[in-house]
Amino acid sequence: MLTLVEEIVLLMIDEKGSFIPVRETAVDYSIAGATLMGLAFANRIDTDSEHLTVIDSSPTDSALLDRALTLITSSEEAKLPSAWIEVLATDEARSMREMALDSLIEQGILERSGSTFMWVFERVRHPIIGDREERAVKRRIADVLLSDGIPEQRDAALICLADACGILPAIFSVQEIKKARPRIEQLRKLDLIGREMNGAIEEIERSIIIAMSHMPH
Amino acid sequence: MEVTTERQGGILSICVDGRIDGSNVVEFEEAIRNAIGDDDRVVIMDLENLRYISSAGLRAVLLTGKTLKGRGAELVLCSLSEPIRKVFEISGFDTLFAIHASRSAVQSSLSD
Repeated sequence: MLTLVEEIVLLMIDEKGSFIPVRETAVDYSIAGATLMGLAFANRIDTDSEHLTVIDSSPTDSALLDRALTLITSSEEAKLPSAWIEVLATDEARSMREMALDSLIEQGILERSGSTFMWVFERVRHPIIGDREERAVKRRIADVLLSDGIPEQRDAALICLADACGILPAIFSVQEIKKARPRIEQLRKLDLIGREMNGAIEEIERSIIIAMSHMPH
Repeated sequence: MEVTTERQGGILSICVDGRIDGSNVVEFEEAIRNAIGDDDRVVIMDLENLRYISSAGLRAVLLTGKTLKGRGAELVLCSLSEPIRKVFEISGFDTLFAIHASRSAVQSSLSD
């Protein structure tokens, strides 16, 4: 079974093996959120709005999650869940994205191919070679979005992450997303880590809009 | 955390007392699993004495509701204190589950 980070990274890759152009900051926060959600679903951490508690520090079956768990357990100060998202949404998120790519390659889902363009720059692509997993992830998202039933927490989390980093338009049409928006909003609320992550992304986007509005024309 | 159950008119009520968090959520899930019978069509979760619920606890409630729904049954929540009600509302659980003020309010809604 793929981790949430692996699933979200897989959804970010288009049919040519390139990353879908989305806001880099949102991707970093989504990977940070996916990591913490993964630890919560693996019963390693528990949260409320003011606490993130390690309930089991034993290794998971994912090197990526273990890296984050070690970071949290070795911290000397207690942090809010929102603060841990900030900590992970840095170079850590970039490293975790690379780890997720490596893992997907190892599992035979992606391959890595490089080419140079402009004679200098190397362009790395990750074409999908085994699309069973990708189709399964997309089907899970569609099933939950098109129903009004009680979702699996993991599926709700995946939709929250996909929406946060702006990759839903690569899966659904604008009309489909518009129609599903009330359901997406409902699912975004279900997970505390997802709410904190979305709050952080919205805060950054507000800051960018304010900064741009102050730029000379 | 203590889980007690009672049946009234063939309807199972599960009362939860104390806290549900990562330290006891496995016991909570086990107690719920053991309490619910195959023939139960409506299960009332009375949370009057629930003092705290973490994300792990909310996940367990969600899973219980999903499992019941999957076999054509329903989970109904009642008697939430104000702080607990707020947690459920912020998490959108009020859009997924029927939440009533009291157990008698649930009984009345079922007899309507």
